[in-house]
Amino acid sequence: MKHQFVDGKSVPGAKAEADECLFEYLHGEIINYVVSKSKESSEEDLSQLEWMGFSVGYRIIERLTREMQRFKDELDIIKFICTDFWNSLYHKQVDNLRTNHHGVYVLHDNEFRLLAKIGKAGSRQYLCESPRLLAFTCGLLRGSLANLGVACTVKAEVTALPSCKFNVEVQRM
Amino acid sequence: MSRNVIKLDAKKVNSELFTLTYGALVSQLLKDYENVEDVNKQLERMGYNMGIRLIEDFLARTGSGRCYDFKDTAEKIQSGFKIFLGITPSITNWSVAGDEFSLCFETNPMSEFVELPDHCLSLKYCNLLPGVLRGACEMVQMEIASWFVQDQLKNDGVTELRVKFIKRLEDAIPAGED
Amino acid sequence: MAVCVAVIGKDNSPKYIKCVDETNALQFHYKVHTSIDIVEEKLNIGTKTVADNKELFLGMLYSTEEYKIFGYATNTKIKFIIVLQSSNATLRDNEVRMMFRKLHIAYANVVSDPFYIPGDQIKSRAFDSAVSEIMS
Repeated sequence: MKHQFVDGKSVPGAKAEADECLFEYLHGEIINYVVSKSKESSEEDLSQLEWMGFSVGYRIIERLTREMQRFKDELDIIKFICTDFWNSLYHKQVDNLRTNHHGVYVLHDNEFRLLAKIGKAGSRQYLCESPRLLAFTCGLLRGSLANLGVACTVKAEVTALPSCKFNVEVQRM
Repeated sequence: MSRNVIKLDAKKVNSELFTLTYGALVSQLLKDYENVEDVNKQLERMGYNMGIRLIEDFLARTGSGRCYDFKDTAEKIQSGFKIFLGITPSITNWSVAGDEFSLCFETNPMSEFVELPDHCLSLKYCNLLPGVLRGACEMVQMEIASWFVQDQLKNDGVTELRVKFIKRLEDAIPAGED
Repeated sequence: MAVCVAVIGKDNSPKYIKCVDETNALQFHYKVHTSIDIVEEKLNIGTKTVADNKELFLGMLYSTEEYKIFGYATNTKIKFIIVLQSSNATLRDNEVRMMFRKLHIAYANVVSDPFYIPGDQIKSRAFDSAVSEIMS
């Protein structure tokens, strides 16, 4: 893999705005709802979380790109996702972006906002919970990219909280 | 990284993220439940759970103490709307006994883009809010009831949320609700 | 000001067309369809060679004696078409841009309605009133 570094500046000490906890608590309620509903089946079904995320991503990207110039290509779109998009939603940029230049992008966030509150760095305790916390965001990414014309699959991977990777795999026609 | 001149406003984006996520939840619930009344109930329940958490943020942010009367409570609820949703509903229609009032909303970011389809007219789109108030008040030992009496989404002039004082609760730890 | 406003979806099918004079609607539908190809052409040039065609506003697509047809394409491949009367000579570029800007805001709001399924026909009171503003 060739490396492409995104300048991962975050704003240290930036106080979370009040309205931000609204989203976080709502997100928490949605997770509880979806998880409790899928309890009957043997395997936890998070597809509804992903689907709601997709719907939100598909819609919000229309608003976010309204005043932007036209994107040059796929990489240009991914760069936007890693910088402005991530910054406005999660208070920081993606720390690292890697690509094989054949439609696979790995977005690495060392301190992902929605994971920050559940465990200290390196904690393994809540690792099993993390797929629940990331499913919505996977959908959000997939929906945003889909509306920008990039059909893809998005999978999240956590090794040590609160750091995580989002693997974006573009579907070539 | 200079291609885009305009930087996104994080505060605005986060507010839109909340609004759109709430919309996605309401649509999902409408698919999951046959009865719209059950959707209203589920939204209220989720609001309750959020309220018992939001009150902590509210207290930490405002440093406010106990309410000395229900008028005081009304004003604190009003300021909560300002803090969390950036809107200031007006406090009106006090009952004679002073145990009931209304919050009137000219605008509400939660339902800003919503146009209710004809088959959803019994949906109380913002029914999260009465739940939030109920949960938040319960955490400060006050039992209230709250419900919508007017809704702009149903072509009323304003959206009016009624709040009624029921009773003071003993200083016991309230049982959570799932 | 505008005599016809149209929204064209990703699949190049019209999602919304409104004309000032509905008796003449067919003529405008035809104009809108013709302009879709021109928009496509402009967009394809933009992605391949010309680097400075980054604006969402595509300018005038074509004109006839009676009408000028302008185009705009969002980052999400939604096209907006606005038809103006050629006799309206005083109309400035900036004013046309402003119309598209209003239209884009209104469209983004439609997409934000949880009851609107993206790709469906647009049936929204708020959008109708934004379009009437552009046409008045």
